Amino acid sequence: MKEVISPERKIVLPGDLIGKNPKKAGPGTYVENNRVYAGIFGLLDEKSLRVIPLKGRYIPEVGNLVIGIIEETQSNGWSVDIDSPYEAFLPVSEYPGRIPQGKDPKDIMKTGDVISAKVVNIDPLMRVYLSMKDRNAKILNRGRLVEIIHTRVPRVIGRKGSMVSLLKKELGISIIVGQNGRIWVFGEEDKANIAIECIKIIEREAHTDGLTERITEYIKNAKKRPERS
Amino acid sequence: MKLSNEIVADIKRDYVYQKLRNNERIDGRGFTEFRKIRIETGIIDKAEGSAVVRIGDTEVMVGIKMQPGEPFPDTPDRGVIISNAELVPLASPTFEPGPPDENSIELARVVDRGIRESEAIDLEKLCITEGEEVWLVFIDIHVLDDDGNLQDASALAAISALLNTTIPNERFGYGDDEILPVRDLPVSVTSLIVDEMILVDPSSDEEKLSKSRITITTDTHDNIVAIQKSGAYTLTEDKLYEVVDISIEKAREIRALLRDV
Amino acid sequence: MEDIKLIVDGRRIDGRKPDELRNVKIEAGVLKRADGSCYIEMGNNKIVAAVYGPRSLHPKHLQNPNRVVVRYRYNMAPFSVDERKRPGPDRRSVEISKVSKEAFEPVIIKELFPRSSIDIFVEVLQADAGTRVAGINAASVALADAGIPMKGLVSAVAVGKVDGEIVLDLVKEEDNYGQADIPVATFIRAGKIEGITLLQMDGRVSKDELKKALELAKKGCMEIYRMQKEALINRCRGDEIVE
Repeated sequence: MKEVISPERKIVLPGDLIGKNPKKAGPGTYVENNRVYAGIFGLLDEKSLRVIPLKGRYIPEVGNLVIGIIEETQSNGWSVDIDSPYEAFLPVSEYPGRIPQGKDPKDIMKTGDVISAKVVNIDPLMRVYLSMKDRNAKILNRGRLVEIIHTRVPRVIGRKGSMVSLLKKELGISIIVGQNGRIWVFGEEDKANIAIECIKIIEREAHTDGLTERITEYIKNAKKRPERS
Repeated sequence: MKLSNEIVADIKRDYVYQKLRNNERIDGRGFTEFRKIRIETGIIDKAEGSAVVRIGDTEVMVGIKMQPGEPFPDTPDRGVIISNAELVPLASPTFEPGPPDENSIELARVVDRGIRESEAIDLEKLCITEGEEVWLVFIDIHVLDDDGNLQDASALAAISALLNTTIPNERFGYGDDEILPVRDLPVSVTSLIVDEMILVDPSSDEEKLSKSRITITTDTHDNIVAIQKSGAYTLTEDKLYEVVDISIEKAREIRALLRDV
Repeated sequence: MEDIKLIVDGRRIDGRKPDELRNVKIEAGVLKRADGSCYIEMGNNKIVAAVYGPRSLHPKHLQNPNRVVVRYRYNMAPFSVDERKRPGPDRRSVEISKVSKEAFEPVIIKELFPRSSIDIFVEVLQADAGTRVAGINAASVALADAGIPMKGLVSAVAVGKVDGEIVLDLVKEEDNYGQADIPVATFIRAGKIEGITLLQMDGRVSKDELKKALELAKKGCMEIYRMQKEALINRCRGDEIVE
């Protein structure tokens, strides 16, 4: 994918010296001999001394809302693919509904089903535990699934959720954004298509200014397109 | 590696499928439309002939190597074609290192059959000393990026590379180098069968819907020179003829690209 | 073969001076399916590298509870050399894969991804001496492109002794008829060489010659490093040639 990055952003490579105050070292950096170096290829945020990744796999954190795909059903729960090096586990006890007598987990959700869920625990071996006892947790058996680079998720959400709100309001659709880069969109087909196009633009132009204005404009023009039957 | 079974979200697969039910492919193509095809030849100087073919984002390289060797006892005056395919793990998260599996063997053999049966190469011209020494032609298929329909990309890369091949006479002391004579242009067209629908040149997203494929290879006279039904499904006669008609027509279009190679 | 002159009036058979690299072209992000990728041409070498991961590692007994497992597969296409190479791994490519992997392990920050793996695949499409170092250069860019945390970049060249002279970046004839071949990979941080992560040698050189060879290798690695950096920056500036 071709990136669009405003030229004033400084691109750094692993090993570039970015600071001399180890106390300030943020994510995407490492410290050696009291110097702060870039640990990944990305964009330097000089203020908070961190490197914003351009790519890379999603590493789960407690509290993240993720969109997962059921991989396997076990007697005590489900293993869930969250597009990360670590698969997650959703125990039966964290499923919000009651499992009726005589039924087991595979009658509730099967391989290939899509869910949104919250990361509630990660042990030192990076075993990840999910819960669906959360108001944003759902079984997503209709709608569309889009995948973007997870590092661009904050831009899709926008400041205090402004971007997602914009898409929802202007297009009258439902959206759930997983921190792992999976985004669920549900609504009228033409509107959902516009939303997905917008998400792709946000992903590509995540590191530029004036994104909200451009998206507003894009939606305005897109809504004028003749509806397909 | 467990990754060999790519987990696909049902709703994603359903969406591709729903679109098809509405007579639409997710990338907006017509059902019998190929993605954009690009052919480049002569990339590998070490090879006697080479080509890279891109069909959309799928990318396959073929290199041709030739060396003298023994003929088969039953064809003492004919050269030998040896085809091989490697699905190197670089090309897809689902490919694993190791000896060729059934998929890469099938891939190579279907390419081989098209070239052999169309008699694209005049094997008699590849005899050096009858019964003792003939040219061995190695067709090595190297998959670089798998976004679906490796079969047609490989076949097209193979014939493109052959069109670009020089017989290395000098290196082995047999006089001047000469162009490898290619007499025909076999072209394969692969379709994915989803329910009753025929999807020509399936992308990797579409290949996740169904394993039912059929490849039809035709020559310059619209003769069929190879067929491969691949996948556990039942093909009806009507469907077969429909696919054959489409394949002949599509192969003609692709063959026109080969004339510029 | 002793009487073949490989250096005449200070020029090598391809016209280079002893301390000159071949033409190098590096492009990052060339494959769709891989997490990170890179294509490199170093002289007549044509190599593509892909990185997948970190991803979950199966079977479980291969996992390390404390750090990521790095795997490296160097492979030559059958048509990459004059005499067709039989497909699949041979003893040479197994050894190259091992030392190449070891060239990256000290540089990759491995503690961040326990139990998972990073898979590096290097495909040599055309070979003309120095494929392992060219492959390492491509792999280094592909790793950065994949967003893998590293302490720096790895840059590599081969140096050798030809007609009694120490030269940089050997071509095949120099490799075959020269007196020594020394592939070297270095860990470069903040524009400075921090150390050597791969070193092999075959042939015969004196200690002084080895010193001289390493100096030349360091100079070559710095040049490669600058080109690797440029390739990565071009990838996001979007000013490389679009087909």
